[in-house]
Amino acid sequence: MTAVVQASAPAVTGLVVQRGFLARLIRRPMGAIGLGMLVVAVLVAIFAAFLAPYNPYVHPHVTIEDVYQPPTAAHLLGTDDGGNDVLSALIYGARVSLIVGFAASLMTVLIGGTIGLVAGYRGGWVSTVLMRFTDFTLVIPDLALQIVIVAIVGPSLLIIILVIGGLGWTSAARLVRSQTLSVRERMFVLRARAIGAGDLHIVWRHVLPQILPLMLATMVLAVSLAILAESSLAFIGLGDPTVISWGQMLNFAFSRGAVSAGAWWALLPPGLAIVWVVLGTTLLGTALEDVLNPRLKRHHLERDRSVRVTEPEGMSWLRAEPARKDAPLLRVRGLTVEFDSPAGPQRAVHDASFDVRRGETLGLVGESACGKTTTVLGLLRLLPPGGSVTAGQVLFDGEDLMALPESDLRAVRGKRASIVFQGAMNALNPVHPVGDQVAEVIRIHEPEVGRKVAEQRARELLERVGIGRRRYGDYPHAYSGGMRQRAMIAIALACRPDLIVADEPTTALDVMIQAQILELLGGLSREFGMATILVTHDLGVVAQVCDRVVVMYGGRVVEDSPTPRLFADPQHPYTRLLLASFPDVLHPERPLQSIPGSPPRLDAMPPGCPFAPRCPAAFDRCSTIKPPAYDLGDGRRAACLLVEPSHTPPEAVHG
Amino acid sequence: MRGRGAYLAAKIGWALLTLALVIIFNFVLFRILPGDPARSVAHDPRISPETVAALTARFGLDKPLFFNFSGGNPFDSQFFAYVGQLAQGDLGVSYNFRDRPVVNMLGDGMVNTLWLILPANVLAIIIGTLAGLVAAWRRGTAIDAGALAIGLILWAVPTFFMGIILLFLGAAWFDLPTGGRQTIGAQYAGFWDAAYDLGRHLLMPTLTFTLVLLGEYLLIMRSSVVEVFSEDYILTAKAKGLSTFRVIRDHALRNAMLPMVTVIALNLGFIVSGAIQIESVFSWPGLGQLTVNAVRERDYPVLQGAFLLLAVAVVLANLAAELLYGWLDPRVREA
Repeated sequence: MTAVVQASAPAVTGLVVQRGFLARLIRRPMGAIGLGMLVVAVLVAIFAAFLAPYNPYVHPHVTIEDVYQPPTAAHLLGTDDGGNDVLSALIYGARVSLIVGFAASLMTVLIGGTIGLVAGYRGGWVSTVLMRFTDFTLVIPDLALQIVIVAIVGPSLLIIILVIGGLGWTSAARLVRSQTLSVRERMFVLRARAIGAGDLHIVWRHVLPQILPLMLATMVLAVSLAILAESSLAFIGLGDPTVISWGQMLNFAFSRGAVSAGAWWALLPPGLAIVWVVLGTTLLGTALEDVLNPRLKRHHLERDRSVRVTEPEGMSWLRAEPARKDAPLLRVRGLTVEFDSPAGPQRAVHDASFDVRRGETLGLVGESACGKTTTVLGLLRLLPPGGSVTAGQVLFDGEDLMALPESDLRAVRGKRASIVFQGAMNALNPVHPVGDQVAEVIRIHEPEVGRKVAEQRARELLERVGIGRRRYGDYPHAYSGGMRQRAMIAIALACRPDLIVADEPTTALDVMIQAQILELLGGLSREFGMATILVTHDLGVVAQVCDRVVVMYGGRVVEDSPTPRLFADPQHPYTRLLLASFPDVLHPERPLQSIPGSPPRLDAMPPGCPFAPRCPAAFDRCSTIKPPAYDLGDGRRAACLLVEPSHTPPEAVHG
Repeated sequence: MRGRGAYLAAKIGWALLTLALVIIFNFVLFRILPGDPARSVAHDPRISPETVAALTARFGLDKPLFFNFSGGNPFDSQFFAYVGQLAQGDLGVSYNFRDRPVVNMLGDGMVNTLWLILPANVLAIIIGTLAGLVAAWRRGTAIDAGALAIGLILWAVPTFFMGIILLFLGAAWFDLPTGGRQTIGAQYAGFWDAAYDLGRHLLMPTLTFTLVLLGEYLLIMRSSVVEVFSEDYILTAKAKGLSTFRVIRDHALRNAMLPMVTVIALNLGFIVSGAIQIESVFSWPGLGQLTVNAVRERDYPVLQGAFLLLAVAVVLANLAAELLYGWLDPRVREA
C-alpha cells in the first residue's frame, strides 16, 4: 500500500508559517467564505440561549395539533414530531455538531500526528510497523465499526467522540509522516543533531513547528468528516439520546412520518445546517492547504491566446517579398512575448528579429533570464502557461507560424520543426516505453508507414543517438539523464525536420556527456542538412559549431553577427563582457572577468538601454533611449548607441 | 521480469497478512465487547442460569478464547473453532433466526447491496472523471468554478440527507416508491414487469449514491489532471504535433487516473458507510440493513459475519487497486 501513500501525500516543501498567513488565507475566496461560514456556526452555537426563541430541552405540554405545524410567526421553521420549535432545536443542535466535530478532529490529529511524527522521525522498523498498522486500520469499514461499538457500549457524546476520533486518524498519520520525512533531512535539523541535541528536543523545537500548519489544515478537514460521521450515526439512531443534534432531528423526523406528512420544514433545515458546517470547514481546510502548499494555477493545455494580428511596424515589405529559393528558412521579425502576472502583463521578449538559413546553425547566447528560452518556445507557440506572443512574425518557409490555425501548426511541430527542451528529466512520459514515444511522432506525421515500420525506424533512431535498439521497450525511469536527453533528440530527429531547436540540451549533464550530445547533434544536423538553433551559455560550443550568433540581453537581441566576426570584433559592450568572462584556449593567461550585477527583472526594466546600468561604456543618453538594432553591414547588427551612425564619442563633445 | 514478480508477490503477501489480521480482529472485537450474547438470545435478564449455561454451551462460549491450557487439545478453543468454521464457509447461524445460516443471509444481502453499489459507482466514476477532466482543462474559467462548486457541495451533503431529499422528490413528482426492493404483494406478468418494478425501486437510491460519490471523484480528478497537464511530458507531446485530444488520451489520462485508482479502492470503506445510510433511508434489504438490524438485536454471528465480509471486500479492493496501479505505472512495479 505504499503506492497509496505516495499518491496521496502532497509534495510539501518547506512550510513555514509566515506573517500575513491569515491575510493570505482570507484573500482566497474559498478561505474567506469558509471562515465566514464557520464563524457564523460557532457564534450560533455559543449564543444559542439568546438566539433560540424556545429552550428545546424544556418540553411544554403539547397536543396533537402542535405536531408538524408548518412555519408560522410563532414557529419560524414550524414544529417537529414532538410539537417542538424546529428553529430552536436547530440552533442548539449547532453545539453538538461543533463539539463532536472539534473534539473528534483534535483527537484525530493528536493520534495521527503522533504516529506520523514518530514513524517519520524514527524511520526504520518503527516506521514500517506503524505504517502497516495505519494501513490495517484503513481497511476496517469506519461506520460499520462505529455502529458496532456505539450500539454495544451505549450512545453517549463521549463515546461517539472517542469512536470517531479513534478511527479517523489514518490520513493525518500519513500526511504528517511524509511531512516529517522531508523536514528531518533539512539543514537545521541535521545541524541540531550534529551538536548533540536530544531527539525530543529536536522534534519539539525544530520538527513540530514545521509540521504544525499542515496539522492545522488536516484538523480543519477532519472536523467536516467528524461532523458527517456524527450525523450518520445519529441518523441511524445511535446518537446521544440526551442531546439534540442535527442528525438526530433528521432521524426523528424521517422515522416519524415527516415525509408522508409533507413536513419539509422538519427535514430540510437540519440537513442544510449540516451541509453549511461541512462546506464551511471543507472550504477553509482546502484554502489552508492551498496557502501552505499552493497548487498550480496554470497548465500546458490552456487555450493559446497568442494574437494573430502580427504585422510589426515597418515590416510590410516582408509580405510582398516572394518566397525565393535562397530566402532564409526562418525569418523572425518583431517577436514579442508577454507573461501574465498579478501586476499586469510582463514583457519577456521585446521585438526580437533574426534569420536562420537552411542548414545553418545559429547560436542564441546570453546570461540566464535574458529571454533566450522564451524566444525559442515562442517560435512554435509552445510558451509556458500564462505566456503569449503578442506581436511579431515567424516566417517559416514563407508561412507565418503566428498566424497559422492550431491544426496547421501541429503539422509543423515535430515534423518540419522540432524542439529539444531544456532538462529532459521529466520530458518523457513515465508510463510509456521510450521507444513507443519515439515511434509516436512518426506515426502521427506519417500515418501511412504503419506501426511496424514506425517501430523499426524508432529502433534505428535509438541506435543513431547511441542508446541502442534493445532499450526500445524500457521505461524512462530506467534511463539515465544523458540517455533521456538522447531519446529527446531521437524524437526531435524522427521526421527529419528542416529546423531543430535545441534549448540548452546539455544543462544538468556532466561534461563528458555534454560533449557527446553536442557532437551528436552537430553531426546529425550536418548529415540531414537541418538548420539548428542552439540555445546555450557555452561560448566554447558556439565557437565550434555555430555559423551565426545572436546575443540576447533583457529580452532583446543586442547583437547578431557571423561567428568569426563576433569573436574577432564584438560590437556591443555586453558581447565584449560576455566574451571576456569566458576562458579563451588561445590566451589562457588572460584573466577572466565577470560582469557585475545581474540581468534586469521583467518587472524592473530600465527605461533606456536594458544594459545601461551594468555597462562600463554607458553615457547619459543610454538611460533614456532604447537603441534600435543598427545595421553594420556584412550581416552584422548591434543595438547600441555607440554604433549609431551619427554617434560621436562623448569625449569628442567635451573636447 | 523479476521486479514484476516480486511486486506481485509482495502485494499478495501483504493482502493475505491483512486478511489474517482482519480475522483475528473480528474474532477479538466480538469477544471483548460487553453484552453477553447468551443473554441477548434469551432477551430476558431474569432467565434461569441453567438455560444460560445450555445456550452458552450450544454456541461454544464455554471454551477458552485462544488456547486451551487446561489439558487436552490446546487448539480446542473458541478462536480455532471459529477459524475451522470459516474455512468451511460456515459463519454460524443467526441468534435470532435460528435456522438461517449467516452465510445465506449475507449472500442475499450482498446481492442486493451490489445492485445498489455497482451501477452507482460506475456511473459516478465515469461522470466524475469526465467532469473533473473538463474542469481541469478549462482551469480558471466559469466551467471550472461551476464544477468545483458542485463537487464541493455534493461532497458536503450527508448521504442520508441526499437520500431523504431524493426520496421526497421522487415520491412527490414521479410517484416513485419510497422504499423496499419490490412492491409488496405484487404479481408480475413477466420478467420485464418485474424488472420495471425493480428499476423503479432502484432509481432514487442509485441516483443518491451516484451524486454522493460524484463530488469526491470530480474533485480528485480535477486536481490530478491539473497536475498532470503541467508536466513537462505534456509539453513534449504538444511539441510532437499531437492534437489536444490525443495529448489527453495518450499522455494525460493514464497518469491522471493513478490517484483515482487509489481513491476508488480506498473509497470502498466510504461506500460501505454510504450503503448503510442509503439502505436505511430506502429500506433496501442489503448488507447495511442487515448490519443495523443485527446491532439492534445483538445478533453477533450476523454482525461478525457482515463485518468480516465488509473488511475482506476492502482488502481485496485494495489489492486490486495495487495490481492495477502497478499495471498502469511501470515505476511502481519495477522499482
